[in-house]
Amino acid sequence: MSAGEIPLDSPAQKAKRTQMISDQIIQRGIADKKVIRAMSEVPRHLFVPEELTGKAYSDRPLPIGEGQTISQPYIVALMTESLNLEGDERVLEIGTGSGYQAAILAAIVKEVFTIEIKKSLYKRSINILNILKIKNIKTRHGDGYFGWEESTPFDCIMITAAIDHIPPPLLKQLKNGGKLILPLGNPFSYQNLVLVTKQEENYRVRQITGVLFVPMTGYALDRFTKPSGDMQ
Amino acid sequence: MIHAAVFLLSFSSLIFEVLLTRIFSIGQWNHLSFMVISIALFGFAASGILLSILDARTKGWRERLSATGTVRILVTFYSLSAITSFLVLNHMPLDYFRLPIEPAQIIYLLIAYVLLSIPFFFTGLIVSIAYSFIPEKTAFIYFASMAGSAFGAIFPAPLLPLLGEGRLIISSAILPLVILILPVSKSTGKKRLAKSRDIGKGVCATAGIAITVVAAVLVFGAESIIEVQPSPYKSLSQILRFPDTSLSETETRLRGRIDSVKSPYIRFAPGLSLRFTDALPSQWAAYRDGDDQFVFYRFNTQKDLKFCEETLAFAGYRLSPNPDHVLLIQRGGGSGIPCAVASGAKKISVIEQDPGIARMVGKQYGLSVVNENHRAFLTRTDERFAVIHIENWGTSLPGAAALSQEYDFTIEAFIEYLNHLTEDGILILSRKLLLPPADSIRIWATVYQSLKTLGIENPEHHIAVLRNWDTFSFFVSRQPLENTETIKEFARKQNFDLVFIRDIRPDMVNRFNIFDEPYHFMEINRLLEAYRTGAEKSFFKTYFLDVAPQSDDRPFPSRFLKWTRLDELYKSTGSRLYTLLLSGEIVVSVVFIEALLVSILLLAIPLLAISKRLKKPSLPQIFYFFSVGAGFMFVELFFIKKYVILFGDPVISLTVVLSGILVFSAIGGLGANRIGKRGLRNATLLLIAILLLLFFSLDSMMYRMLGFSDISRLIAAILILFPVGIMMGLPFPIGMRYLLESPIQRAYAWAVNGCASVLTSILSVPIALSMGINLLMACAVSAYFFAFISARKQ
Repeated sequence: MSAGEIPLDSPAQKAKRTQMISDQIIQRGIADKKVIRAMSEVPRHLFVPEELTGKAYSDRPLPIGEGQTISQPYIVALMTESLNLEGDERVLEIGTGSGYQAAILAAIVKEVFTIEIKKSLYKRSINILNILKIKNIKTRHGDGYFGWEESTPFDCIMITAAIDHIPPPLLKQLKNGGKLILPLGNPFSYQNLVLVTKQEENYRVRQITGVLFVPMTGYALDRFTKPSGDMQ
Repeated sequence: MIHAAVFLLSFSSLIFEVLLTRIFSIGQWNHLSFMVISIALFGFAASGILLSILDARTKGWRERLSATGTVRILVTFYSLSAITSFLVLNHMPLDYFRLPIEPAQIIYLLIAYVLLSIPFFFTGLIVSIAYSFIPEKTAFIYFASMAGSAFGAIFPAPLLPLLGEGRLIISSAILPLVILILPVSKSTGKKRLAKSRDIGKGVCATAGIAITVVAAVLVFGAESIIEVQPSPYKSLSQILRFPDTSLSETETRLRGRIDSVKSPYIRFAPGLSLRFTDALPSQWAAYRDGDDQFVFYRFNTQKDLKFCEETLAFAGYRLSPNPDHVLLIQRGGGSGIPCAVASGAKKISVIEQDPGIARMVGKQYGLSVVNENHRAFLTRTDERFAVIHIENWGTSLPGAAALSQEYDFTIEAFIEYLNHLTEDGILILSRKLLLPPADSIRIWATVYQSLKTLGIENPEHHIAVLRNWDTFSFFVSRQPLENTETIKEFARKQNFDLVFIRDIRPDMVNRFNIFDEPYHFMEINRLLEAYRTGAEKSFFKTYFLDVAPQSDDRPFPSRFLKWTRLDELYKSTGSRLYTLLLSGEIVVSVVFIEALLVSILLLAIPLLAISKRLKKPSLPQIFYFFSVGAGFMFVELFFIKKYVILFGDPVISLTVVLSGILVFSAIGGLGANRIGKRGLRNATLLLIAILLLLFFSLDSMMYRMLGFSDISRLIAAILILFPVGIMMGLPFPIGMRYLLESPIQRAYAWAVNGCASVLTSILSVPIALSMGINLLMACAVSAYFFAFISARKQ
């Protein structure tokens, strides 16, 4: 795809994006203005396959080829908001995928480092990021398990690849007080998020239930007090 | 010739059906398999509809359709359509996940439905022509059809490992073309096959040769065209996109395809503590049907296994250090093996049902591997183990396992595990953590009830549960877990969370892996309170998911849906209708509605097309054949599901039951002419009596059979099918021969029977899921009873 073939943005796409922000993001409780602004600015439709451009702003994940997906807009917003970004962070993303999440992060933070192991996805994503002239993203084709050692430490790490354990090398590359976030569950189903916060040698893990989770009923809610959550 | 055609097409079409399920299991997900194949089987019924309309509207159709040339043409069309539909299906971009966003996917799905039904249509047409045209030979036709199907059920088992799915489906599709070289018989019973123009004999021969040549080219020279590839969303497809990754070996069996992958990027350590800072040992993996992975670890020293000591499951080894004998029951995963080695166990035995994986485990680790159904093993052995570790992570796609029948987590299974523990032995069970809590509650309840059944007081003192952010582990002992400090200390050190332990308090939970509320702890404690006050039934009734313990009669551990709470579930997934369709149970319901509509349409059309001057099938006739079709299918499915515990695998169970029942009913069908109309009622009553006897006695017989050797178990299982199969082979051919008067009625009866079979095969799934497998036999008895009543009215 070249800049001459597809318009980068159009009034129609902007209108859809605005609708997405209103219906899917703000209405669901996303309040971080930086996140909302980033999602309003980044043209999500450029990150999906051409035949799905019309569906780019719908409330669902979309396949981008090779068994990969671009996450549902709400999940992207929730993940980004959960990192509580100020704007001066250095963020590492493991699993560039479509490049959309990296573009959202780049609109907020100082620097984004993103790694993708699958070559075709890597090439496609840097193509789009170059077209958009996003300067503060560094991309790499490689094994994200070991992070980006030469640029450590990172304020935040976002893992979008499917994993069954959090890679120890990544935890080492997280700053003290830094946050690591990853989505759990199949992208076509519903997802919860895991947010890991590093405090010296200890880690606090919080599960953020992403999508309209039905709260437990029963008298147990009244009987038991909330745990303090303090580390022992 | 027509008998040969019936036999060969029945043979080939059953192979086609069996292989389609294999192809879908690899290429897609099980929901789609169920969805497409169930509807495709309507091809059988559609053939009967066509014939009944033809007989109503067209003169001389019988002579034309039963001419030798026409039989040859239909057989040729069958082979062509079977190969074509497979090739199209194999290359069509049907993507289950794109269904809600791409209108073209609906077209692809419809194409799949229609194309796959065509081979069954031609098979059904030949069989229906035979029944309609030569009713005096009904018994032989029935025998040919059933015997052909029975051989078709067995045929793939020995040949799949040699040929693979693609080659076998093409080879079996051209087998019926043998008809083209058979000589024509001079007479067929009382009527001669019409010798009117042997239409297009040369055309058929040419087409047959052409199809055979194309098939040969595909089989021997075009592997890339016929190879079945897994969905791009499956784990195997994902890992193969990584650099320096390759397939080292592929084994294909009826149980599944195993692909071994060597890659530096395989890193599997579920339940690993965030405090672990070292490296994992290098690994490789085997994938079953492209998704379920079994990981193998390369380790030379104990240092390589350090990571195991910091996984959730290892808490069990802290409770039972340096165990004498560890038993590992592996259902995928593979991390249990290095944990057992790291524990310093003196002896480790592994139970792995898949022969390919069992061989790999033995070769990789040099351990004693039992390649057997674990329930059978436990029934036969008196040995007791210091640790029994069950590793079963479930499927990667939520909802995909809802229909899966597994005997690992039933009350009876846990009783077996506990009976095989030493006095201070520990049972460890590791699973994925779900939200809302479902699995953990069900397993807790099952363990609790198992302990209670064994007469253990205060069962809750014998259970501990830990979790991290996405997995949980259960620890169960026959003795009360007195030393809770060991577990608490382990959890604290590794930043794991307690979920349940005998002296748990609210301030002990949800400390390291924090939810908004300590959901799992809360619900398990609420359940415990319910058990203490005798209100557990109320708990299971009011909880918004079905988390009641499973039994061997209802062994569906991954099934949680409550239809009455569907609205809440829908909202909890974000009000996205599509996510509900990821549930196998919901897909079954959708398919049933589709099937019902198709059936009504198919059965209504001929009744409207048949003119008033012709004798339409009467209601008792329709009920009779519907009931017989339903009864036959209920019995078949009852045994298929029941025998899973005997053979440990649904595919093996399907093969044994199908081949057994079909062979025996084929033999029974030969007796139809001797028994005749007068004997029909007695035969039906005798069948009902046999079914009732089995209903009450099969469970106890099967538990005894679990302790037999493999061969003895197989023989006993087949012998049980003998009287059932023989008697089931009577109602249909006797009905066809003596209760019907015209070809219209016979063709329509064939269609009714076909629709009943499809509807029953779909309906049996929710019946078994909701009410238990035994109810299928009750349904079968009811169906044959209705058949008995309907026969009486005639």
